[in-house]
This record gives sequence, structure tokens and C-alpha cells, in this order.
Amino acid sequence: MEKPFLVMEKAKKKIKIHKFSEKVKGVPSYLKDWALTFRGGVTILCLVVFFLFPLITQNVFYLQVIILCLIYSIFAGSWDLLAGYTGKVSFGHAIFFGISAYAYSAFTKFNNFSWWLSLIIGIIYALVLGFLIGIVCLRLKGPYLALGTMTIGLLFQNLFKMGPLKPLLWGDEGIPNVPTLSPNSVVVYYTILIIMVISFIIMIQITKSDMGTIFKSIRDDETGSEASGINTTKYKIIAFMISAAFAGLAGGFFAMYNRSVNPLIYQPLYSFMVLIMTALGGIATISGSILGAFTWVILSQILEELHTLDIAANPILDAFTTPAFVFSIMLILIIRFVSEGILSKALEKLKEGWDILLGR
Amino acid sequence: MIEEIIIYGAVQGSVYALLALGYSLVYGVGGVLNLAHGSYYLIATYAFYITWLQFQGIFGFYIGMILGLIVSTILGTISYFVIIKPLEEHEISMLMGTFALGFFIEQLVIAILDPKFHYLPPIWDQNITVLGVVLQLHWIIIILVSIIIVILVIIFINKSKMGKSIRAVSQDREAALLMGINADRVLLYTVMLSALLAGIASVLYTPVDMVASYKGWPVLTGAIAIVILGGMGSISGSVIGAFILGYARILTDYLIDPVYSSLIPVIVIIIILIVRPRGLFGKKEID
Amino acid sequence: MGVILEVKNLTKKYGGLTAVNDFSFEIKRGEFVGLIGPNGAGKTTVFNLISGFETPTSGRIRFDGVDITGWKPFKIVNQGIARTFQLVRSFKFLSLLDNISVPSLSKRGKEVSRKLGTDQYASSILASVGLVDKARIPPIILPHGDLRKLQIGKAIGTNPELLLLDEPFSGLSYEEKLVITDLIKRLHDDGVTIFITGHVLRELMALVPRVIAMHMGKFIVEGPPKEVANNKIVLEAYLGRGEAFA
Repeated sequence: MEKPFLVMEKAKKKIKIHKFSEKVKGVPSYLKDWALTFRGGVTILCLVVFFLFPLITQNVFYLQVIILCLIYSIFAGSWDLLAGYTGKVSFGHAIFFGISAYAYSAFTKFNNFSWWLSLIIGIIYALVLGFLIGIVCLRLKGPYLALGTMTIGLLFQNLFKMGPLKPLLWGDEGIPNVPTLSPNSVVVYYTILIIMVISFIIMIQITKSDMGTIFKSIRDDETGSEASGINTTKYKIIAFMISAAFAGLAGGFFAMYNRSVNPLIYQPLYSFMVLIMTALGGIATISGSILGAFTWVILSQILEELHTLDIAANPILDAFTTPAFVFSIMLILIIRFVSEGILSKALEKLKEGWDILLGR
Repeated sequence: MIEEIIIYGAVQGSVYALLALGYSLVYGVGGVLNLAHGSYYLIATYAFYITWLQFQGIFGFYIGMILGLIVSTILGTISYFVIIKPLEEHEISMLMGTFALGFFIEQLVIAILDPKFHYLPPIWDQNITVLGVVLQLHWIIIILVSIIIVILVIIFINKSKMGKSIRAVSQDREAALLMGINADRVLLYTVMLSALLAGIASVLYTPVDMVASYKGWPVLTGAIAIVILGGMGSISGSVIGAFILGYARILTDYLIDPVYSSLIPVIVIIIILIVRPRGLFGKKEID
Repeated sequence: MGVILEVKNLTKKYGGLTAVNDFSFEIKRGEFVGLIGPNGAGKTTVFNLISGFETPTSGRIRFDGVDITGWKPFKIVNQGIARTFQLVRSFKFLSLLDNISVPSLSKRGKEVSRKLGTDQYASSILASVGLVDKARIPPIILPHGDLRKLQIGKAIGTNPELLLLDEPFSGLSYEEKLVITDLIKRLHDDGVTIFITGHVLRELMALVPRVIAMHMGKFIVEGPPKEVANNKIVLEAYLGRGEAFA
């Protein structure tokens, strides 16, 4: 038996929402319906916040933090597309991230190409590499695919570090002083934001398309998929290449953000990073990677702050505030206890709250 | 120079043998590709060094070695209960979990000590002459101790009750269970053994190498390369593969350029995965 | 009625073990044929070889005149052969509707589903196997009988001319078996050639007009069920193994 007061409040809210939707007539109904779902509502809210953010603060530091979040979101999303939807877990995604970063840096700095052209070239490098590595690694079963990609990542790290290869691959120092698209952080921010949103729309549409269904069938039962007449080899490689391309997009932007690139970009840590981000946000959600990426970056920032405060003080606290340390514990916990991602669970709670709010 | 190559190659091979043996056993018994294997080596290294810092001198050195072994074995045990056992149903999670553990330990040691490189003092640096080459005693100790340990392990596997259980479980887990063997316990002991062997490798080799936080990864790739080369789950394959890899690296160091030798394990893994996933001696297939 | 499947001297060896030994037979278009043999006789291996999941050591397989020996499984499916598996498999996390959508997205499946639209096509198949009320549910929570129906539905999704059913009755209750039998008969009436294996003979013998018997990888005899059932070697193979003979 609900109290009359609550019923009144719910009714009032329903009327308000109804009136609002009357106003937004021009928008097609399925979009309106979507906006009223939890996912839709939150997404629109986030979009609004991010688009208005630079109007609230022009602080370069904060803008840079969000930019990094956006870049990592694309990177993590690319991994989720491959691992969550096609079932192919790669421990070497940093390869595509890194090669594109290097390509972007080299072409903007040494060839004076424009930023967008260099970015596209970087994506092409990643695509080609995705194809080659895909052909080699995709016939390996799960753990060996992970192993193979991890090893190739280490190979790249070593190759790019090597003295003798310096004339070709720039060695230990990599490429410093990489040009960016604009000295104005706000311009960079909006560019990356827009491209990131478009990327996610594309990735999500892929997962909802026929090709997405095929990817999922490969994930759930590759033999069964083959027995259903699907050329699984072809589609695995396509998935790998698409994933590599988006990772490359992120990598190019990363070089722009970082203003430099060096062999450390290939280290296992970067490949590990996407694992955690996706695990945090929920594997096989695509949008979860955004949550994971933001959590990683922002949490890392907070930890860095704590870290610098503690530096002379308590060694234990010191240890506990290193990002990779904290995150590896988190990953171990996540894997052990929650298969869908901690944030997914939290979101489910929020979702229930939203439904209650809308009187459902 | 040839004598040097022979000796140093044997040193590399011996250390690799200890690492690969444990790794191969764990794979054979549990089907586990333990990406945290490098961390057993790493934590032994740091435990050794930090202990030596505390006590100093020869006493500190020996205590450090003992502590290194104890700590690595403890880590092996913990890794079993926290990661390997709970995740044994789910291969990818197991990989991610052991991968995460590798990072965790790497960061832990940096946090406990610092990110810099360190060196242990050469305790066994007396010169002796072998095959006409003058070298430090330490190298010979590495070779001898490793060989003794490997032989002990082989005897253990073949003669002891637990050793037979290990062989039984790696050949056919179901059958072993039916015979009343507690496969979980067998895996636990195997993991502990692999951690101990990695610890032995670490305390033997670190004094002639260095204390550095990234060392976990080359140890891991070395072990994986050998086990893939020699066949997962095959003891003889691991030992032979270890020496092949050891000599390959030394030959590269002497005849080409030391820079390239760190690439060898990585290239070996990739080539074998492409060409012959079964390795050279393997019982188990990479299917 | 021409020959739709022609298997000649099919042999499969694994190291020292010969699983299928010089096996030859023919199936005509529109037939309904059974493949029997005790456990381990090699029936599933024969299916794997025909459907491309394993490559023969020697021998040839011709489907509708085309030599498909050594082809990749998906290519064989797109030629017109579909199969089910002894151990039921499904796309665990996709809805039943999506499960059927997958084969309709194959090259061959698209030819048919394009006209109706994938969803419509998949729904109609679900309906024909009696699962349409569970279209949105994923297979992980469904009972065994439904999964067997789903498998057959998935096979139908590729619009096959020849359907290989590997032990489709195993693990089913009596009622469930009746349903599946009915489904298979309907498919046969629609013109699909059916090749079905089993090692419990009662159901099979009552169902098919012709039976091929194998044992230890070798062809023993073929013919109407009653004849085959009385064949000396077949009896030995079954009784010697302690199998119940109906």
C-alpha cells in the first residue's frame, strides 16, 4: 500500500516527463524511447556534460585528463569488440596502439603531413598489422592466442628499443616533440570528443548488425558457427582488423596527447590496461569500456596525488598508491568475484533506481 | 673463446632448465600457462637482495638465498590458492589473473625497494681454471647445482609417490582421480615446486646478473619459449630445449651482437606457434 | 533420382589407429538412410569427414557430382550439406532467434532468408521445430530436448539438401523422441535427404527404409533394416560388445 504522497509525486514526475517529450516532437520515436531508458538517459547526460565541460573550465590540466580518458575509451572499446564480442582475447593490443602512435608521430614530424592524414596513415598501419598478426595468431586456441599476441608485443618493444635498428625505428628515445593538431587544448578536446563519439556509434552499430551476430556466434561456439556455413576465418580476421583500426585511432591520438612516443608504448602494461578497463566496465558492452577508461585515468590521477604526498612517509601506503599495483589487485578481484564487471553491477542498482524514479 | 662459449652457454642452459622444468610440470599437471612464473623468480631476487642489505656480508648472502627460496615458494603457494585453483575452470580468466599477478609483484617489489637497478656482491668470485679457461667459481657452482637439482627432480618424479602422482595426473587426470589421487593437491605441490625451482634459479643467477623489476618478463618468455620448443609437459624436452636456448643466446652474444640475444626467446615462441604448435617433443598438443 | 552423396574408399588414420577403413557407399537424392554401428565404430568420424571437420587420409567424397574432399566445413555447408552434433552445441548467450539467424546469414542461407528477411525466416524455422515461443530465450537455460530441436533448426537454417544427423535421439525422453522423429519425417517429406546415425537400433530401424552397418571403421553390409539386423557379422559386432539389440 503506497502512501498517497508518493503516488502523487510519481504522478507529477510522469506528467512532467510527458510534457517534455511533447516538446521534442521532431525527434523520431525510437530515439525518444531510447532516451527514456536508463542507458539512453545516462548517455545523453554524459554527452551534455562532456560537450559543455570546456565552457565550465578552461583549465588545461582537467581538459587533458578528460582527453586521456577519451583516448583510452576508444582503445578499451576496440579490445572489447574483439574479446567481448568475438571471443578472441589479445594480450598484445598495445601493438596496434603503438604502431599507429609511431606512424602518426613520424609522419607529422618528419614528413610534415597534416594531423588527420597522419592519423589515417596510422590507422592503416594498424589495419595491416592487424591483418598480418591475425593470420598468424587467429588459428591458435584461446590461451595461445593470448600468449602469441603478448609475445609479439614484447617483440615490438624489443625491436623498437634496439640500438642497431635505431635508424629505422628510433630506438630507446623514440620520437620526441610530436606536433599536435592545435595548441589550443579546447580545440583538441572537441575534436577528440567528436571522433570518439562517432567511433563508439560505429562500434556499437557493428555489434548490433548482422556482422555483430556472426562475431558473437564465433565467440559462443566457433565450430558451431563454421557448421552454420560461416567462414569463421574471414570474420575473425575482419574483427581483428576492425579492432586494430580503432586501437590505432586511439594510438594516434595518444601520440598527439603525449607529444612524443617511445618503445614503452608496447610494454605489457598498456595491453594489460585495456584488460582492466574492460573488466571494470563490463566485458561485451562496448560502452563499459568508457566507464573503465575513465575509472582508470581518474583513479590513477588520484593515486598519483596520494603518492606524491606519501613519498617520504609510509612505505606500505607508498606501495598501495601505485596505479598498476592497485589495478592489478582490482583485476584479480574482479576476475575472481564478478564476471560482468564491478561497475555493471553498480549500474544495475542505479538502473533500478531510475526505473523507480520513472514510476515503472 | 670456444671454451667460454661452452661454459657460459652451459650456465644459461642450466638456469633455463630450472625455470622451464617447473613451468613444464605445471602445464603438464594442470594445463595451466602460468603467466606469473616470472614473478616467482622476481620475488626471490628481491627477497635475497633486501635480506642481504639487512645483514650484510657472507652471512647476509646465505641468509638471503634461503629467504629468497622461502619467499618464492610462499608466493607459489599463494598464487595457487588465490588465482590458479579458483580459476581453473576458466582458461582466459586464469591467464588474466596470472598476468595481473605478474604486474602486481613487479609493482610490489618497486614499492618495497625502488625502481633502480642493484647488484649483489660477488661472493664466489674465486678464480678456478676449467678447460683452460679462468673463471669465477660462481659459474661452475651454477652449472653444478642446477644439474644436481634437475637430477633430483627427475628422480623425484620417477621414484617418489608424489612424483608418480604428478606423472599420472599429467597423463590422464580422470584416470588419476579414479585411482584416488587428489589432483588438486598434486597441482598445488607442482606449483610450489615450480616456484621453488624458479627461486633456486634466481638465487643462483642474480649475483652474476642484477636486481631489476622488469626481470619477470624475460624469465617468463624464456620459460615459455623452452617449453613450447621442447613440448609442453615433457621433462626431457624442457631440459634439452633449455640448453638449446642457452647456447643460442650465448652464440648470438659472442658471434653477432648481445643486443639481439634478448629477442631470441620471443622469436622462438612466435615461430613455433606459427609452424609447429606441438613443439619438438611434446606429449600434449596445442589443440 | 540421382546420387546425391558418393563416398569412395574413405579412410582415416590417426597415427597407428585406423578409425575409418576403406569405407564406400552411395546415397540417392531424397533417401532416408541410417548408419549404424556399435560405439566407437567410426560413425561420427564418417560424419566429420563428410562435413569437412576432419580431412580423410585417403578416399574421395562427391556431393551432387562435386568433389568436396578436403573442403573447409563452411564451404561444404554452403554446397548443401548440414549436420548436427552428437554433443549438443549452441550459441550459448544468443537468443534462440539469433541462434537461427546465424546460419541464415551464411552464403547459402542468405539466398533464402533474403526474400523473407532474416528475422522472419528465423522465426519460421523456430516455429517449424516448435520453439517459437522461446525465441528470446538463450539456450543455456533450456532443457536437452529443446536444444536438440534447436540444433536441427540451425541445420535447417542453411537450407540443406542433405542433412547429417548424428545421434539426434541421445539423451531424450520418450515423448521428446516422438517429437524429434516427427520433425525429421517432415523434413524428409519436404525433400531433404537424411543420413542419420545411431547406436540404439530400435528407433532407427523403425524409421529408415535403408541402413548401412559399420564396425571398427569398416563397411559390413547395407540393406533394409530387417536384413541387416539378421546379418551374422552385425549380430556379432553388437552381441560381442554386449550391446542390447532390439
